[in-house]
Amino acid sequence: MENNTSLVVKNLRKSFGNNKVLNGINFELKEGERVVVLGPSGSGKSTFLRCINWMEEPTAGEIYFNGKLLTEKNIRKIRRNIGMVFQHFNLINNLTVMENLILAPVKLKIMKRDAAEKRAKELLKHIGLTNKADSFPASLSGGQKQRVAIIRAMMLSPEVLLFDEPTSALDPESIGDVLSLIRELAERGMTIIIVTHEMSFAKEIATRLVFIDKGKIIEEGTPSEFFEHPKTPRVQEFLKKVL
Amino acid sequence: MNDFVNKVVQLFSTPEYIDSLLHGFLLTLQISYFAVLIGIILGTIIALIDTARPSKWMVIPKFICRVYTTIIRGTPMALQLFIMFFIIFAVKGFPSIITAIIAFGLNSAAYTAEVIRSGIQSVDVGQTEAGLALGLSRTTIFFKIVAPQAIKNIIPALGNEVITVIKETAIVSMVGMYDLNMAAKDIGSGQNMASYIVPMFTAALFYLATIYLITFAVKRIEKSLRKSDLRAEK
Repeated sequence: MENNTSLVVKNLRKSFGNNKVLNGINFELKEGERVVVLGPSGSGKSTFLRCINWMEEPTAGEIYFNGKLLTEKNIRKIRRNIGMVFQHFNLINNLTVMENLILAPVKLKIMKRDAAEKRAKELLKHIGLTNKADSFPASLSGGQKQRVAIIRAMMLSPEVLLFDEPTSALDPESIGDVLSLIRELAERGMTIIIVTHEMSFAKEIATRLVFIDKGKIIEEGTPSEFFEHPKTPRVQEFLKKVL
Repeated sequence: MNDFVNKVVQLFSTPEYIDSLLHGFLLTLQISYFAVLIGIILGTIIALIDTARPSKWMVIPKFICRVYTTIIRGTPMALQLFIMFFIIFAVKGFPSIITAIIAFGLNSAAYTAEVIRSGIQSVDVGQTEAGLALGLSRTTIFFKIVAPQAIKNIIPALGNEVITVIKETAIVSMVGMYDLNMAAKDIGSGQNMASYIVPMFTAALFYLATIYLITFAVKRIEKSLRKSDLRAEK
């Protein structure tokens, strides 16, 4: 099967005031790929991810999704095809778990309320949180919140899922639960970009690794190339420290 | 002591005194009520402009709002009242109650705007980002996500503002209006009563009772808002 290109990033730059965070990122993503983005803190990997769905508006450069150039005007429609999972979960505090799940599909008229609730119940059952449907996020543990956040993104059946350090705010016990849910999505062929510090998970799940340093991609490759034969000294040094 | 009791009996058994106090109290309530109403409406508008995303269309409105709140918060209420009475609405026969309502309403709007602005800004940005990432519109995000959370932060401070307005209206006696404060002074200085203690303490009790009721109501609202947060903790 010939995989289609889903995402193209050309010469992406992002500055916050005088602080240049991204200095010309070129990147391509094909359907079914699972790209893990690595890099030291402050290297711009989260900003890169957040530019893809315009959580941050790029300062310069172009992003194409399914061949369409992202603009201020069309981004809202495109976002429903690009799910995002945040480090701090960002469940809507004033809505129950069920309301969190059905809000977007119902508001965006993608599903009728009954259909959305039915799908939400199935997904909740799948992650073993059926009994939390009417709970507010405040009563959930971190791991539960993140798993709900993941299925909330899945409610819209996105073509790509972005994970921004999904386990960085979790206790060690919950990390496993969240990772196995991501692993499961991966096994089902979901196209994924994930920023993470979980090296063994990265090695296991990635079809490709991308290393960002000082706002540029300085190396990319398959897990075996990347972990066993890193080319650049910067990556060699990084791996020596984290492995 | 006997004299004090006599004065109390005198105050509460003289229909004219009761009448004066109630009239004054009614004026205080009227000014406060409409001033708070104007304050909330205008304050909300100012807060929304202030928290709106920066764009070229918003530069001038944002500037005007900032100048407005700076002037109102930077000058004494009594002076603002004088300016309204003796300059802006110095038209013969213009109803003074309207002038007072406008003066207090415009003043309260600046403070209410700050209360609402900080309430909106205290909602975690992540909440808005979650909505954006799901493809929701800014309007939906505001009404379904930000506003309901902001209200929880706004209500207590807004209650405070209402209380402030009620007490501050007492300065309308400076422009000769017959509010609760003025009624107390008027009764006390009269030939028959010839003592300030009882009428003024009575007026104080009126203020206190009103404010106590409002505090109580605000606490109830706060509690019910918070309850919805923890509904699941059965």
